[in-house]
Amino acid sequence: MSDHPAGIPPEAEIASTGGFNKYVGPLYRLPDSADGAVRRFAFAVAAQHMNGSGSVHGGMLMSFADTAMSRTARLSTDAKSCSTVSLNCDFVGPGKLGDVIEARVRVTRRARSMVFVSAELVAGERILLVATGLWKILGQA
Amino acid sequence: MSAPFPLPGYKETALVDPFEVFVGPVYEQGEPPARRFAILIDARHVNMRGVIHGGMLMTFADAALGQAVWDVTDRAPSVTLNMQSQFLKPARAGDVIVVQPELIRRTRSFVFMRGDFRVGDETVLAVSSVWKLLGQD
Repeated sequence: MSDHPAGIPPEAEIASTGGFNKYVGPLYRLPDSADGAVRRFAFAVAAQHMNGSGSVHGGMLMSFADTAMSRTARLSTDAKSCSTVSLNCDFVGPGKLGDVIEARVRVTRRARSMVFVSAELVAGERILLVATGLWKILGQA
Repeated sequence: MSAPFPLPGYKETALVDPFEVFVGPVYEQGEPPARRFAILIDARHVNMRGVIHGGMLMTFADAALGQAVWDVTDRAPSVTLNMQSQFLKPARAGDVIVVQPELIRRTRSFVFMRGDFRVGDETVLAVSSVWKLLGQD
């Protein structure tokens, strides 16, 4: 049994436990890719995520990307948290109401105090957003 | 719901997009095309460390720069094509973030915008975004 929205698999775990993520979520973490190279996250588009043109608001897409990429950066370290230093987003295509949007996130390079991360947000076969960003590992020099 | 907006001379911005209404309100001062925009960070906007979520900052940035694009295009329909965000300093609940959007260049089909988002005298976020005017190839 699962209370997840349609399209979110039962093995998905809640990734939005508090704060802004919980307010705009729920956001989910999906199982990693079979080779472990890709961290996967998802959310189901609801009415409050939209813009006035009937597409998912870019702010929601960037919020989801930031959360998924921050979590991926932290999972690559022993640190308690990482903070976003920079994020570059290309809005490739629109998301629609009812879409389940998945983030596929990779660590490009983990340095001593920084993590380089890239992500694609997709709805089925459609690419909605591509992003690259830089994260500072907190609690280290 | 939220505390009264603390800066004098600001009024609430009329928001259209449901997601902006959901995370708003946004406030503004001045007249187009020189409107200045602001938010008061509340408990909904912060992460587990009490710092504003990057997603909320970027949503406000997209909303404010989008309003400025409207101002310079007579409200022509447009979409964000690209946005680059630099997170310079954390901001916390109770802080007011203010931006004066800057038009960098307008062409027939694109608008280039940027903004420094400030708490007091300090910039917490620097954003550049590229906008596509719909129907203009």
